[in-house]
Amino acid sequence: MLRTIREVFTFFFFLGKRSRKMKVFFLLSLLPVALAVLVRIAFAGRSSEVMSVFQEILMVYFLQFLIVILTLFYGTSVCSEEIEGKTLPYLTTRPLTKGGIIIGKFAAYTALLALMVFVSLAASYLIMSFQKLGEAATYGALLRYAGVLLLGSMAYTAMFTFLGTFLKKSILIGLAFGFGWETAIQYFPGSTQRFSVVHYLKSLLPYYSAGKFSILTFRLEPTSPAVAVLVLLLITSGFLGLACLFFSLKEYMFED
Amino acid sequence: MTAVIETRNLSKWYGNVLGLSDVSLGIEPGITGLLGPNGAGKSTFMKLLTGQLKPNIGSVSILGRRIWNHFDAFAKIGFCPESDAFYEEISGWEFLTGLLSFYGFSKAEIRARAEKALDIVNLTGDKDRKIRGYSRGMRQRIKFAQAIGHDPEIIILDEPLSGLDPLGKRKLIHLIKDYRDQGRTILVSSHVLPEIEAMTSRIILIHQGKILAQGDIHYVRDLIETHPHVISIKCGDARGLAAKFVNEPYVLKIHFGPDGDSLVVETHKRDAFFGRLNQVVLESALRVEEITSPDDNLQAVFDYLVGK
Amino acid sequence: MATIREKGYSHWDGALVERKFPWWPITRTGIQLAFRRKHFKFFFSVSFLPAVVFLVGIYISERIEDFKFMIKDSENFIKINPAFFKTYFTNDFLLFMMVMLLVFSGAGLIADDLKHNALQLYFSRPIGKKDYFLGKAAVIFFFILALTLVPGLVLFFMKLVFSGNFKLLTGYPWLLPAIIGFSALLTVFFAFYTLLLSALSKNRRYVTILIFAIYVFSDVVYGITFGIFRSPYVALFSLKASFQQAGAVIFGQRLPYAYPGYLSFLVLFGICAVSAAVLHRRIRGIEVIE
Repeated sequence: MLRTIREVFTFFFFLGKRSRKMKVFFLLSLLPVALAVLVRIAFAGRSSEVMSVFQEILMVYFLQFLIVILTLFYGTSVCSEEIEGKTLPYLTTRPLTKGGIIIGKFAAYTALLALMVFVSLAASYLIMSFQKLGEAATYGALLRYAGVLLLGSMAYTAMFTFLGTFLKKSILIGLAFGFGWETAIQYFPGSTQRFSVVHYLKSLLPYYSAGKFSILTFRLEPTSPAVAVLVLLLITSGFLGLACLFFSLKEYMFED
Repeated sequence: MTAVIETRNLSKWYGNVLGLSDVSLGIEPGITGLLGPNGAGKSTFMKLLTGQLKPNIGSVSILGRRIWNHFDAFAKIGFCPESDAFYEEISGWEFLTGLLSFYGFSKAEIRARAEKALDIVNLTGDKDRKIRGYSRGMRQRIKFAQAIGHDPEIIILDEPLSGLDPLGKRKLIHLIKDYRDQGRTILVSSHVLPEIEAMTSRIILIHQGKILAQGDIHYVRDLIETHPHVISIKCGDARGLAAKFVNEPYVLKIHFGPDGDSLVVETHKRDAFFGRLNQVVLESALRVEEITSPDDNLQAVFDYLVGK
Repeated sequence: MATIREKGYSHWDGALVERKFPWWPITRTGIQLAFRRKHFKFFFSVSFLPAVVFLVGIYISERIEDFKFMIKDSENFIKINPAFFKTYFTNDFLLFMMVMLLVFSGAGLIADDLKHNALQLYFSRPIGKKDYFLGKAAVIFFFILALTLVPGLVLFFMKLVFSGNFKLLTGYPWLLPAIIGFSALLTVFFAFYTLLLSALSKNRRYVTILIFAIYVFSDVVYGITFGIFRSPYVALFSLKASFQQAGAVIFGQRLPYAYPGYLSFLVLFGICAVSAAVLHRRIRGIEVIE
């Protein structure tokens, strides 16, 4: 199983790196860097406002747009692209465990998109924190944000991977979930919020109430960080496990 | 010889559509041709053998082990799928080495095997081109290369000659025969009868999901007693020869070729006919130029069995 | 050299009858394929929800006395005027549903042809590039007009019918052209938008993501940049904002964003122009492989 995961990861990481779509998504992910440069120029000397802007970019762009889009595409691709492209036999007629194929591809695509997100996050954050580059706390915060986005990437990718293994129109369901459910549920009070991934991600970020987008945390009743991390890891492993199970049991027929 | 591939009561449905019905057979080392028209169930059978589909009824085993979800078995199996599908954005070399890496070979071994496979299919010069830029024939050849790169014991080829030019087909057929001589088991499917005939006389005929016949093509032909054999003889005195056979009970029909130099005999006892023919030729010192069996080929066998 | 006739060939002496609308079979097939997709009919039906709600609004506006017990400030409750129509055409739900319909019906329009190498099949027939584009675009025209022009005209005429007079027509003579004009603007823009994205990839799934993501992305960018710069001009980043601004201009309403309305038209038509250029380059009868 481990050998399968390693070999599949290597192959698809290499394949993913070479694809044109990766370049398009990478460009998309660089918007915060461009904004960071503009903000530094516009808000020169007003570091607290700069950080407030960064928080907004993190919440709105990274958390609720970029990782959802990237994980939706790459997560559903784990299985769907093999079926649509009819390349599945190249994997399933080799001495590779089916679960290993899923986990290996999941890991490869998560690594790719996490890399894209991290480059963008690090560049935009460090540009905006230019005056505090000498402080250890700066890097601590960066690691925290990167960790949150990584957990989010893993959880979403696992969820969409699962969708891709058993649904034909996984993209549409994924869009409805990622941009419909995840957005709407945040306005619900009490425990309802806990039925979303974004709730746990926001629980791990420093809470703030300033700015135009405070409405997005208006009803946030955060879960404790330890529980949030545990839940995210459980979501990841749970959906990944289900994806492996479905992939092992299901037959995939190609459209001729 | 023990069968390498065995199926027992193998059946597969796609909803209400029957893909394969109650197939029980064994495939031994050597080349076996799987023959049938489009939609006969060849690809379904191949997909069941390679674990891509799960049987509804029955079982498939390769080398004594059930194939569904048994990934270890694939170390000894090479499969060339029918569909023209690839990871288009990488080169032939990257495609081949990438797939070979799944077998746990070392880097040096992967390189050596990939070079050998590319050499076999004559793609060494184009190995660094993206597959997207390959012609139809090149794509078919790289598909074959990935099936043989790891030196499998069992090779399953679904329409391997499709898209190849006549020279390419000849080379591939020659290659398949080489693998047979090495003692491997090769199952080749096609709907083009001369291609199968050029490779092997051992066939499985499939139509509408059912196996119509299995075995040596001549033996299968002989089994079809309801349909007489047709034998064409070209000689100097066709009418004289015909007179010698007219009273024989096993001769069903005699007619003459358009040129007048040949006669065509229909008989349901081929052995008896040839025995008598030898006698007649010796007795009358008749000069026979040519003897052929126009229907002792796959097309005729298939047509008879399908009931055309 | 022997003439062709001697070799057994013969020239066809008939007249080549050209089809009046060569693009129509492409459009008809595209529409049929869209309806065959699972859940499309559901989404299409749901898209008419705003039209139904607004139609009920028109009915209530004419029967306000019957509903007086429910409504406090009844006189100002529902006024059927250009603002009413502008609200219908630029409401978030309708725009969102249009994007969803584009995902269903438009993502594969060109992408599937590229994937299956079908362009050669099209261009080996008496169909030019214009016919091909028109045929594909007309699929989108059909669905977008079904959500814009048709309900718009129905709402207009139902108001006339319910009110029993032509006050709406005489009071706002430019309203009908505005409905037609804004519907045309949305339709043409979304056709170019969808075809551009569909032509960029052979992967339908990727195009689906792009259609949705770019629409949402434009709004996200606007939101973030507005939060930073507080300038109304950043609304030009947002497609939704551009529609709302253009809608306000066409229906003669107060502009929702404090920048000249013509800039939104420039943005929308600029995207159409870029799309036309890319499509012209991308769609060829033969594929050039590097």
